[in-house]
Amino acid sequence: MKKQNKPSKNIDKPFTFRGKYLLCIVALIYVLLFVIDSQSALLALQKGSKVLLKILPIFCVVIVCTALINYFLKPKQIAKHLGHDSGAKGWLWALLGGVISHGPMYAWYPLFEDLRRHGMKDALIAVFFASRTIKIPLLPIMIDYFGLTFTIILSCYILIGALIQGALLEMFGTQKET
Amino acid sequence: MEKKPSKQSSPRPSFGKVLQKSSLSFAAMAPLLLGVIGLVGLFQVLVTPTMLASMFRDNPFIDTLIGTLAGAAASGNPVVSYLLGGELLSQGISLYAVTAFILSWVTLGFTQLPAEVEVFGGRFTLYRNILAFVFTILIAILTTITVQVLS
Repeated sequence: MKKQNKPSKNIDKPFTFRGKYLLCIVALIYVLLFVIDSQSALLALQKGSKVLLKILPIFCVVIVCTALINYFLKPKQIAKHLGHDSGAKGWLWALLGGVISHGPMYAWYPLFEDLRRHGMKDALIAVFFASRTIKIPLLPIMIDYFGLTFTIILSCYILIGALIQGALLEMFGTQKET
Repeated sequence: MEKKPSKQSSPRPSFGKVLQKSSLSFAAMAPLLLGVIGLVGLFQVLVTPTMLASMFRDNPFIDTLIGTLAGAAASGNPVVSYLLGGELLSQGISLYAVTAFILSWVTLGFTQLPAEVEVFGGRFTLYRNILAFVFTILIAILTTITVQVLS
């Protein structure tokens, strides 16, 4: 029996900060590290700031992408293209999106949380994350280090593996939990 | 001729409003993302490339497992994983292990686990990470065997 695409009815959630506890724990670790080894703590803080500065443009892209999707597509349309009845097109979109997406995985969490709430199926999220291993701008560097044959073979296996992972995740039925 | 009464749908909000809403939902997630970035900074300092390279033993099977775990523990630009992978290869570490290392660098990550659980739930995170772990090893083995057969 096919599952129905049911975009969540209660889309507007009240504003609450998320991950407060995680941030507090991380801050506590920094304080402890500062007491034990202040140089390492400062270096970690510096590296974290650099990462933040580097991915700020990606955060902007994610915000604009989320807004554009919500502006042009209704939840029903999102569910149609990326939901349980999306068919091969949905899988291809997820695969393509993963390959062309840039930046760390967690930068894309807000967008996928939004799409999931509007009816995107978990399997496609898994496909997106699995296919992200192919980084188009970095392919020349990979070819330089590991050779053309290795890069082509690895990329093919990544794409096939991503689709199988999505299919298996769908079989396991993670969608029950939201 | 009588006009058919068209279905009344709510008017589309302006793009500015939608953008504001997206920004707000992103802002709500800011502490979560900052926490992950803080962890990335800590891991980049505490889990050094030298430490990762020293973990490998000269056993292709164990090294593939170590490569997968090391890639998951490391964080940063994937280019670093290529540079490190190249270094490991020149040190005689197997292609199985190096492939697993560069794959898990992107698909697995201890630092992003708390955020993934918060956003997608424990069940999704568990299944996705187990699958990513298994497939990292499978793809590493298949890629290496195929490259060896072709060459």
